[in-house]
Amino acid sequence: MSYAVDRRGFLRAAGAGAAALGLGSVLTSCGSGGQSGGGTVTLTWWDYFTLDNFQPAFARLVKDIESNVPDVRIERRTFPFADLDRQITLGAVSGDLPDIAIVDNVAMNSLGGSGLLADLTGRVEEWGQSGTYYEGPWAGCQVDGKTLGIPNNSNCLALYCNTRMLDSAGVKPPTTWDELADAAQKLTRGDRYGLAMSAIRTEEGVFQFLPFLWQAGGDLDTFATDGATALSFLDDLVAKGSLSEQCVGWTQQDVNTRFVNQRAAMQINGPWQLPSLKQADLEWEVVALPRDRTSATCLGGENWVVMESSKHQDKAWEVLEYTQRPSVLVPYLVALGNLPARKDLADTGTWASDPALRLFLSQLSVARPRQYGPHYADASQAVAVAEQAVLTDSAAPTAAAKSAAVKIDKALGSQ
Amino acid sequence: MGKHHGKRQGGRHTRRHPSSPSSRRRRAGYLFSLPGLAFLGLFLAYPLLYNVWTSVHDVDLGTLLGGASRFNGLANYRATVADPDFWHAVRLSIVFTLASLLFQFVIGFALALLFARPFPLNGLLRSLLLVAWLLPPVVSGTLFRWMLDGESGAYNALLRATGLGALSHDWLTDPSTSLAGVVFANVWVGVPFNMLLLLVGLHTIDPELHEAAAIDGASVWQRFRWITLPLMRPVSVTVLLLGLVYTFKVFDIIFVMTGGGPVDATSVLSLYVYEIFFRFFRFGEGAAAGLLLLLVPLLAGGLYVHRLRREGEAA
Repeated sequence: MSYAVDRRGFLRAAGAGAAALGLGSVLTSCGSGGQSGGGTVTLTWWDYFTLDNFQPAFARLVKDIESNVPDVRIERRTFPFADLDRQITLGAVSGDLPDIAIVDNVAMNSLGGSGLLADLTGRVEEWGQSGTYYEGPWAGCQVDGKTLGIPNNSNCLALYCNTRMLDSAGVKPPTTWDELADAAQKLTRGDRYGLAMSAIRTEEGVFQFLPFLWQAGGDLDTFATDGATALSFLDDLVAKGSLSEQCVGWTQQDVNTRFVNQRAAMQINGPWQLPSLKQADLEWEVVALPRDRTSATCLGGENWVVMESSKHQDKAWEVLEYTQRPSVLVPYLVALGNLPARKDLADTGTWASDPALRLFLSQLSVARPRQYGPHYADASQAVAVAEQAVLTDSAAPTAAAKSAAVKIDKALGSQ
Repeated sequence: MGKHHGKRQGGRHTRRHPSSPSSRRRRAGYLFSLPGLAFLGLFLAYPLLYNVWTSVHDVDLGTLLGGASRFNGLANYRATVADPDFWHAVRLSIVFTLASLLFQFVIGFALALLFARPFPLNGLLRSLLLVAWLLPPVVSGTLFRWMLDGESGAYNALLRATGLGALSHDWLTDPSTSLAGVVFANVWVGVPFNMLLLLVGLHTIDPELHEAAAIDGASVWQRFRWITLPLMRPVSVTVLLLGLVYTFKVFDIIFVMTGGGPVDATSVLSLYVYEIFFRFFRFGEGAAAGLLLLLVPLLAGGLYVHRLRREGEAA
């Protein structure tokens, strides 16, 4: 309680402060530009790319936009990853929202039904380039038949293998669940685990779990059965000691640290770990996630969105369209180390030659978005709790899957 | 303005001549308290009332923007009370609070007795202990998260080094010990506060009482039991009430250490409310649960103020 009150109080104070300091200039420039007719429009832009190594790419993109899209200025503001969703929500209360934003693709669930995002359907149809995107990333921007965003960049999960450990154990990179279980067991030795993955009680853990559910041939609506299959597969890994029970507390960053420190022979992780792995003293390769009934991986990455509250939606769309031109998009993605969501760019840029990036790009064709509607957060929480209960031996896979399925059905059925 | 003021005062003079200076003083008093009242109104009463408003409306992400949220009476409260996770959180909060208070108080009392005696470096050690209380909870939470880590944590390393390796454990990732882990960290944070207040209390006890008792042949234990403890009662109750208020709403240290997990082993009420608000975006229900969370500290705070007033009257 006191927390909520503090936040509100803080929000108001911070909002007033921000208005006095930063937004004042935005408003004045908007005012002067807008009223003189055809003058410069200032677009505010929010994202969560706060790390230093992202800044050159964004500085260049903003400069590109300002010099090539007529009459536009960009005011970019960054927030910590965990804060952007909240900030947009709070912004909706206080009326302080940006014109455009780059949001996590999973946020389309909560934002999609909120009426906060501008409907881009008409503009996208006129633009006519939707066919150039991979199916998963594009589907992730569609909510109730409307296009509410366009992909900014995409990523997905794959399996990293420590080649030296695999060679010395005489194991080939696994391609099926059975091979994965077998390899993980053979690679486990001393304080080294065969496999590391994140099963933390947040969306990060669910992001890593969903591929197993999909590979088992199911989805959230068949969690009682296929969820149990996926859960018992992971439960076996833990029971055999191939996967540490401690993974219920690991973020994906923790998982990568284990892999780099050679405490795990294989890890499930995304392409954003590539820069640190390339600097590490370690031989590794990346392969597709092992399949069971089918191949699947989980789609990550970000989407561009335009806010419904924006007074400059035309200009905002012009900016978004400009960023999708290959001549702009490729250097931006290369500088970020991210992958394109567009099939037509597969043979340009670093991902055309780098084998690891190429592998991740190839997996985008089986990457599924977490597109389940406004109550996805409840379903996601149920999945995370079920996984944690099974891996910590608090519940059997079938029982955990069954009780999670009840919560999932309630959440997704009440849309 | 000035004229008007004078006229009104004149009117008063004719009616209530003798009380005029004091009433003027009282009016000035109200004037001086205006900034404080405005501050309280703006930053306490308004958000609180807004929260009450939210708790009886159907507010979620969808209805937030349009302002189309409907009044739904006690539906949010009913939904909260019907949620088994809420009651689970209530139980956890009670266990967390009672365990924290017990250990904080006992250890704090023992340390206060120690520091009440003069010895070399007393002042320095006492100030060093306070660091635990001064550290931001995010920092202490992170510290304990690392120290209690199953694989590379300091506590397990210590246990192994002292031949007690069999006791080493995945403290925070085992649902049966993670609550104990966060209580442990919270006790460490709370001990200095308890010690400091209890130390002040110990200093108010007249040393002559102890001397007289010693002359009469009372043992150390007897003096503690029959002099220190009874005289420390008022201070102890105050310390425990304040501790209750602080501990019941602890959020940051748990959030950093376990995020409410594993499974839901450390999802105390404050984390429950946070998740309703910022993960599920059900603002109406969150506000209702939040107000229910407020009840306990409010009750404790009321008791505390009541006691203060009674002590004031007694003095």
